[in-house]
Amino acid sequence: MIELINLTKEFKKPIRGKGLSGMIKTLFSRKYEVIEAVKDVSFKINEGEIVGYIGSNGAGKSTTIKMMCGILNPTRGKVLIDGVEPYQKRKQIASKIGVVFGQKTQLWWDIPLIESFKVLKEIYQISDKDYQERLQFLFDVLSLDKFLSQPVRTLSLGQRMRADLAASLLHNPEILFLDEPTIGLDVLAKQKIREAIKAMNAKYKTTVILTTHDMNDIENLCSKVIMIEKGSIIYDGPLMKIKHKFGNIKTLVLSVNPDLDIGSVAKFDGDIDIKKEEDRVDIRFNADKIKLESVINYAFSVLKATDMKVSDISIEDVVKKILSEQEKGK
Amino acid sequence: MNYIKLYFTCIKRSMISRLEYKKDTFVALFSFLFSNLCALLSIFFILQTIPALEGYSLWEVGFFYGFSMIPISLDHLFSDEFWLVAYRRVKEGDMDMYFLRPVPVMFQVFAETFQPEGFGEMILGTALIVACSFNITFSVSVGTIIMIVVASVFGAMIITSLKIIFSSFAFIFKDSGPLLQIIYNFTNYAKYPLKIYPKFLRLILIFILPFGLFISLPVDTLINGTYNPCWISLAIIGGSIAFFFLAVLIWSICIKKYESTGS
Amino acid sequence: MFKRYKPFLRASAMDLAVYRFNLIIWLLVTVLQMVCMVFLWFSVYRSSAGGINTIINGFNYKEMIVYTVFTTIFTFVTFNNETLWLIYSDIRKGTIGNYLIKPISYRGKFIAGAIGGYLIMTLMFGLPLFAISYTVFGLIGFITIPTWYDLVFHILLFLVAQFLAVLLNDTITYIFGLFCFYTSSGWGLNSLRATLTSFFSGTLLPLAFFPPVFKDIVNWMPFAGLSQNPILILLLKYDYLSCLKVLGLSIAWIIVLELLAKLIFHNGIKKVTVQGG
Repeated sequence: MIELINLTKEFKKPIRGKGLSGMIKTLFSRKYEVIEAVKDVSFKINEGEIVGYIGSNGAGKSTTIKMMCGILNPTRGKVLIDGVEPYQKRKQIASKIGVVFGQKTQLWWDIPLIESFKVLKEIYQISDKDYQERLQFLFDVLSLDKFLSQPVRTLSLGQRMRADLAASLLHNPEILFLDEPTIGLDVLAKQKIREAIKAMNAKYKTTVILTTHDMNDIENLCSKVIMIEKGSIIYDGPLMKIKHKFGNIKTLVLSVNPDLDIGSVAKFDGDIDIKKEEDRVDIRFNADKIKLESVINYAFSVLKATDMKVSDISIEDVVKKILSEQEKGK
Repeated sequence: MNYIKLYFTCIKRSMISRLEYKKDTFVALFSFLFSNLCALLSIFFILQTIPALEGYSLWEVGFFYGFSMIPISLDHLFSDEFWLVAYRRVKEGDMDMYFLRPVPVMFQVFAETFQPEGFGEMILGTALIVACSFNITFSVSVGTIIMIVVASVFGAMIITSLKIIFSSFAFIFKDSGPLLQIIYNFTNYAKYPLKIYPKFLRLILIFILPFGLFISLPVDTLINGTYNPCWISLAIIGGSIAFFFLAVLIWSICIKKYESTGS
Repeated sequence: MFKRYKPFLRASAMDLAVYRFNLIIWLLVTVLQMVCMVFLWFSVYRSSAGGINTIINGFNYKEMIVYTVFTTIFTFVTFNNETLWLIYSDIRKGTIGNYLIKPISYRGKFIAGAIGGYLIMTLMFGLPLFAISYTVFGLIGFITIPTWYDLVFHILLFLVAQFLAVLLNDTITYIFGLFCFYTSSGWGLNSLRATLTSFFSGTLLPLAFFPPVFKDIVNWMPFAGLSQNPILILLLKYDYLSCLKVLGLSIAWIIVLELLAKLIFHNGIKKVTVQGG
């Protein structure tokens, strides 16, 4: 079980002057600004849950994750993993957790993937039997056999992410931390990753905490969502509640004739939010209440759109909505 | 936890990585042999101009130099990754993974790289020793033989300990590469008989940066019987244990200061 | 371009007190090493046939010590090999692609960086250190103070030589950096570069010590202009004609090596694009 209690992290950044004179001044001055990356964060995560930890860029997600992994020390407050603070009992916690950082790999760059696995087997003291069993499981679920003997540096991003995920699961950790695991991947690769996570959670009851920018990851995997913005938690609850609150909001971005006069064309039969600027029209609507088909029809037949892009609701939109809800509540 | 088995698994991995970079390995080996050659030539040119250096003949000075390469090469084999830690890895945040594994970080740094270049150094040093020894009279005994072995092995430990200490500073300074480099360069000055230096320098080179302890003093004893080999051996062993403990202590303190970069 | 210039200028990454501590230790150790060098030379001269006042290869012991100290200060202030590491990380990270379109500014940014660094280091450390040591050596009689106009001219020539040394060193470092295209190794190349430079530039020992045939060859190589020549100009060991000769030699080498660098760059770029980065 993971518990965060009033977790706070502040960074001291020296205020750096610009240019040559500024740089020399920096050598002699001691002015700092304090940046609060994580402010008084508290939440609980139970065994076997898959939790989405989301927020806009710079909100404090990675900082929190790093404190939960034990590689960053809190300024105030604490993290408890099964009652132990990870940054204090690092080695004890290390066998229990698996980590995938989207940007960095924990594998060795120039050697075949299987060789990296062999080293990890020794480091985590995985028994031969467990190793074989898990390798087989990960092969099936992540299709690793295709590139097992290739050096990691030759793998595509999708393959590398699958490899990193496998590496982090080799020792059957109780808790899996995933920091942006699907970033930059194509739809198929994302699917594979999600399935692997679900399979691992189903078979081994692995607790998963994942940070992501992709709402689809959340929808596919998470029962619970925790949202952080500017260092503070703004939502902590079931995914269903968010969906019910905001529904399945889609955005259509259209290219139209700049001379088109929105006011004069036939209005759409339904509750949509439509905005025009020059040659671009943005239409927002709830896809649960209104058929996507009808809106697209409207776009092409009435608005005479020449190009169209459909997007789902973004994390930023959800964040904005939740914040505005909170404002209204005040 | 079978650390020996783990170490060999990691070293095997390091060798596989190395084989991927044949060109780089070749360049590094060549450059390293070349730099040793240049250093030797420099000394040779200087010594050409004088009959002897403070009573030590050209051959004896060569022997000092050759012997110094033995502990240096032993250390080079095992602790090469510490250079990267000091120069780059802490600064670039590339140490996170070490902290996420259930194995001591220092062990992982040792196990990361095995540097076979050290063998080249050892061969060169031995060749030099052998070549010079034809023109030197030694005061050999069982004690001096043991002393030479002790100096080689435990001397290497001292160098490693110093490397550990100064690369730990990277956790605080973010980049302690230049500092480590400068300390390591002191080995250049310990390749000569300590008589050259005034008392205060001699003390520094024996007690603080004890390169003199396991290079100059043993060789002096081997050639001239200056000191009692048993005392020298004990001093070297004692010194290496002391420095090793110091290194482990400083390292443990410094890694507590390690913090992953925030975002 | 002033960003990461020598360890001490990375103040942005460290606390001021901690940075000061680092700097102090670094300075202490450097001074200590210089002291070791001085005593080494003392020993050499003491052991020579004619005693301590022998002139070895054109230097007496006082001149040798001055040469050693000045060389240490000079190499510290003037040189850095950042250029090579920047190229190496460009290649490693693949950002080299950004520069394929603009070869001129790629070279240019390194020159700018080298000059910038040298200006900062000279102003912060070079001027005071040289001034102090020159005065001290003059007072204890290790240097004979020349007429004021000789001194001024030689200082000016020295400054020109130093500037040329910065450019020349950057060109050489750049060329070695370009070889990273072929070997994808940074460390080995830098090590080779450092050895070649320190050996042939008169840093390890004055080129006068090289045996007769080699001495001539080495004095024609570009490395001589990196350290030995500027120092000897400052020490008035060259008459005016020789000063101009060595400066001209440095200029010639800069031109030749820059052309060579361009060739290697174009060749290397072809290789990179063929590989697909």
